[in-house]
Amino acid sequence: MRTVGTTIDRVDGVKKVTGQAKYVDDIRMSRMLYAQVKRSPYAHAKILSIDTSEAEKLPGVKSVITGDYYKKRGGLYLEDKNFLAVGTAKYRGEAVAAVAAETLDIAKAAVELIKVEYEELPAVTNPVEGMKPDAPLIHPDLGTYKVAPIFHPVPGTNISHHYKLRKGDVDKGFAEADYVAEHTFYIPHVQHVPIEPHVAVAQYEADGKLTVWASCQSPFAVRQALATSFDIPLNKVRVISPYVGGGFGSKAGTTLEGIVIPLSMLNCGRPVKMTYTREEEFEDAYVRQGVYATLKTGVRKSDGKILAQKIEYVWDGGAYTEYGVNIVKAAGIACPGPYDIDNIWCDSYCVYTNHPVGGPYRGFGMCEIHFAIEQNLDMIAHEIGMSEVDIRRVNGLRAGGATATGQILEDCGYQDCLETVVKELEYDKPCEQVAPNLIRAKGIAGGWKSPSQPTDVASAAIIRMNEDGTFMLMTSGQDIGQGSDTVLTQIAAEVLDIDPSKITIRTGDTDHTPYEWQTVASRTTYCAGNAVKLAAEDAKNEILELAQIKFGCSKRDLELKDGYVVHKIHKDKKVPLSTFALGLTLPDASGIHGPLIGKGSFVVPNNVGYDQETGQSPKPVAFWTVGVNGAEVEVNTDTGEIRVLKMISCFDPGKVINPALYDAQVEGAMVQALGTALFEELMLKDGRILNRNFVDYKIPTADDMPELTVRVAEHEEPTGPYGARGIGEPVMVPGAPAIANAVANAIGCRFFRMPIRADDVLKALKEKKAQ
Amino acid sequence: MKYQVNFFVNEEPVELYVDANKTMLTVLREELDLTGAKEGCGAGECGACTVIMDGKPVNACLVLAPELDGKHITTVEGLADRKGNLSPLQEAFIKHAALQCGFCTPGFLMTATALLKENPHPTRDEIKAGISGNLCRCTGYKRIIEAIEDVAAHTEGGERK
Amino acid sequence: MKQFNYLAPKSLPEALAFLAEHGDSAVVFNGGTDVVVRLRDNLIAPEYVIDIKKIPGLDTITFDEKTGLTIGACVTMNEIGANEFVQKYYPYLGKAALSVGSKQVRNRATCIGNIVNASPLADTGTPLLANDAVILAEGPEGKREIPIREFFIFVRKTALKKDEIVTAIRVPYHAGSEGVYTKISRRREVDLSTVCATVVRDGDDWRIAFGSVAPTPLRLVKTEELLRGKKLDGALIEQAAELAKTEVAPIDDVRASKEYRVTIVGLIVKRSLEALAK
Repeated sequence: MRTVGTTIDRVDGVKKVTGQAKYVDDIRMSRMLYAQVKRSPYAHAKILSIDTSEAEKLPGVKSVITGDYYKKRGGLYLEDKNFLAVGTAKYRGEAVAAVAAETLDIAKAAVELIKVEYEELPAVTNPVEGMKPDAPLIHPDLGTYKVAPIFHPVPGTNISHHYKLRKGDVDKGFAEADYVAEHTFYIPHVQHVPIEPHVAVAQYEADGKLTVWASCQSPFAVRQALATSFDIPLNKVRVISPYVGGGFGSKAGTTLEGIVIPLSMLNCGRPVKMTYTREEEFEDAYVRQGVYATLKTGVRKSDGKILAQKIEYVWDGGAYTEYGVNIVKAAGIACPGPYDIDNIWCDSYCVYTNHPVGGPYRGFGMCEIHFAIEQNLDMIAHEIGMSEVDIRRVNGLRAGGATATGQILEDCGYQDCLETVVKELEYDKPCEQVAPNLIRAKGIAGGWKSPSQPTDVASAAIIRMNEDGTFMLMTSGQDIGQGSDTVLTQIAAEVLDIDPSKITIRTGDTDHTPYEWQTVASRTTYCAGNAVKLAAEDAKNEILELAQIKFGCSKRDLELKDGYVVHKIHKDKKVPLSTFALGLTLPDASGIHGPLIGKGSFVVPNNVGYDQETGQSPKPVAFWTVGVNGAEVEVNTDTGEIRVLKMISCFDPGKVINPALYDAQVEGAMVQALGTALFEELMLKDGRILNRNFVDYKIPTADDMPELTVRVAEHEEPTGPYGARGIGEPVMVPGAPAIANAVANAIGCRFFRMPIRADDVLKALKEKKAQ
Repeated sequence: MKYQVNFFVNEEPVELYVDANKTMLTVLREELDLTGAKEGCGAGECGACTVIMDGKPVNACLVLAPELDGKHITTVEGLADRKGNLSPLQEAFIKHAALQCGFCTPGFLMTATALLKENPHPTRDEIKAGISGNLCRCTGYKRIIEAIEDVAAHTEGGERK
Repeated sequence: MKQFNYLAPKSLPEALAFLAEHGDSAVVFNGGTDVVVRLRDNLIAPEYVIDIKKIPGLDTITFDEKTGLTIGACVTMNEIGANEFVQKYYPYLGKAALSVGSKQVRNRATCIGNIVNASPLADTGTPLLANDAVILAEGPEGKREIPIREFFIFVRKTALKKDEIVTAIRVPYHAGSEGVYTKISRRREVDLSTVCATVVRDGDDWRIAFGSVAPTPLRLVKTEELLRGKKLDGALIEQAAELAKTEVAPIDDVRASKEYRVTIVGLIVKRSLEALAK
């Protein structure tokens, strides 16, 4: 192939290294106003009154709004939220009022002048407690909320979704098992920490047009949500997403867009900007939900085959779960990990709490559940006297195997990935005591993920030929850093057999670039990639249709080659692509066809829903991306400090489009996973975040980076563009459990909670010694 | 009250009247429209606002605007020449795919530029320690380190030999 | 950040005059790495910010055997780390200075700022405390020398008067003395200390200082007493480590538990003594 499968430089590289890439906060407009919000100091409180009069009197203040402004609740899957609190504030830091002013300083001063009277209500700060019948209700009207039909809130409780999976006969499986164990893990909240905080600018103009510049992953989904909330037809809302400074899921939904819009409507013509501080980012952008994971596993000791598994995931969804319910579903569909188990019973609950709002985070539930799944596997292996590798060889999915929903996989790279990691990591070499207080050991973990998207979501692409034979490619798959602009350009270049530099890609403007459901779910290379491939093929076909007239031969004898249409046999017969840019001029000087435009529309083929009682479906997802991580750690038994020395990844990406960008995604994912394994936790006490800044919420630095090795086991995805499937999220999934397993192998202590801090290590060693 | 400050940005003289309660970062971004330096935390923890002040990398978010008087500031906009020819480090970041979302990239480039000036041939550990005041959530750092190593191996203090 | 007046006096008398006039509503501004963040968070809202960096003579480090090391108020952490005298005679102080924040922060942050902040976990607090450093302050009544042990009063509270400015810190020189600085933190780079400590051996005399285990950096006087004049052996080291744990009073916080800190205190004493016994 010409360009697919080869490394080319990022198409956005020059703009980014020169500082010329404009992010939303870099946009400066004339007569811009600045917004700030007043936040609730309580985890759960009834709002008795809001007095905005003093704030309104402050010179320079243009508008002050409260929840009264919002007439409708909104939400992606479950309409349970308003952009400002209405009636009650449901988490600490929730916005209760907002100000637009001439300067940021005035807006901040005005916020301090807003007086809010609250009546504190009992708070739910633990999802397991929150599920109980006597728990305080956070959404008493849950039964009246509009919800997508695949989600099942339980009115009168805090459960906003109960996903059920029932496969085979677990009772029979457990009865046949000769070893049964149950383990519970807790994974706390963490945060995405894009280095660019959330930011949006809105401008409402007198003709009724609303333009929003947002640092967002999914301009079309944002447009839809905003149009619904504010009752504006879609042709009157334009969402522009320029460069995005990292997303990791946190910029998938709508957050502060809904606050700046009404403020701009009250100040017609004037743009209103709001940029989160890092502290606001921690308290009022999405967080990764916490979860209690309990796995009861029945095993046949002779060969380690898992015969039955009963799984319960209880998710701490936070105050609003409009997006979180889908993570809970995704975890249910993927509940046992990449293992072929005949009898599974899973309940996955989304529970409202008075905690920050849970939302999509790289992995979409998978990183969390695999911390439990993969440690559970190691524990069972140890308990029945089997190696950690063999239990995965026995149970790991392979071609012909069945997933938890009963889907038969035609192909699966899991076993290849496992063997590659075992070999590269030299896993069979025992752990090493390198000094009296330093022990090195290795760990492995597998993982999988599918795009957790509705079965019928769509993507489109348009490619236009310029007069000189170069192209403009338009999609709305957003490059949030993962490199999709480059990869999509390569796919189009491959179809057209031209150098990628001949294509300029444009994304992220709902008025000008075609529909894309969302940039989430590791779907862009696959879904937008398929749409781009179809668009380029459409353009290619149009070119060949015209070329056969020009050449006077059948189009099947013609091909595109390096910017030319070439006769396959008579290679000297060729014309440049530009010949067809505006159609074709015939010998009599008349023109036909007109400007050349290719279009592509894509939905996942044969994706079908699942049974609501059993979760069973022959193909509920587009594909499964599977892989394995290995980690080598060094534990200091004096201080409890853990250093990760080495991490190895092997995944089955189907087909790698751009090797350097693939490796870069995997490297970033491994280090992000390392952060969650060792450092990261949003420390919550009575609903308050104790570490809402970088002083006390630590993410890895360059110094923490281990030696990173990236391998692939390509098993092409039949429905993917050139065989590719999505990888951005899956590659993070096994990182944290691989580290946890390595730590356990080093010191013989199991950690049922992450992060594993030095403090925890010393405590565990002390307890072990006492036994 | 406004304070008069005369200083150089990317070798061009600037005269401004600034508020005391603004930072250098605000002045660069809002007054001079040099938006390459980013605000990631406003507290000197993430390095996204790193610029070179009198030869040394500093967090622009921790310098008060009036302090700018008499200083020489280099921002990411000053790394390439006026025709847009990239510096060796900028080229290496592209070549090594050492950037993803790009938001932290200007800060890394400034820190690394200053690092190579001070220590033209750093070891890998010196690079790691030297850039640990810059946070990146996308890359896992490996390619950033490799890009810096590449430049160190082929230049003298970050300048073409 | 609220509005304030920025003053940049060009001489010490000028600065002191400002301070005498506005002491109650003024903040002395040095590297700014702490003050700017506190201004930003509205933890302080002074009317005047007095930048002392334009005062000549505050940015030097000098050394002679009689006086010891004198660090000017505006000397940055990176300058301390790179100073030849520091490297030669007080390497552990250099290590402490270079353990503060990031490269960028250390190009601005000063040791004197670190001390005047009086954070319990000030990284440069323990090497200075272990050397009985002297704070040189100047006020309307003239110059004053404050032993560092009397300087720290409580969390962010010092013996410095509102109208005084610290001009330098003097670190006495003891020929042949050696020291070990240790910092334990969650993340190796750019983090606050979970526990930090300096142990100095000066002949048969031992001076042990810990940070982040009490409201102020602390000298472990009983442990020092136990060790004084004795020959170090395994049993004594163990005994000292155990005693040290009883001299500290750390708290539980987001960085670590009290229990962890106490354990680490014993460990650091042990490791430092072992290193210095060689």
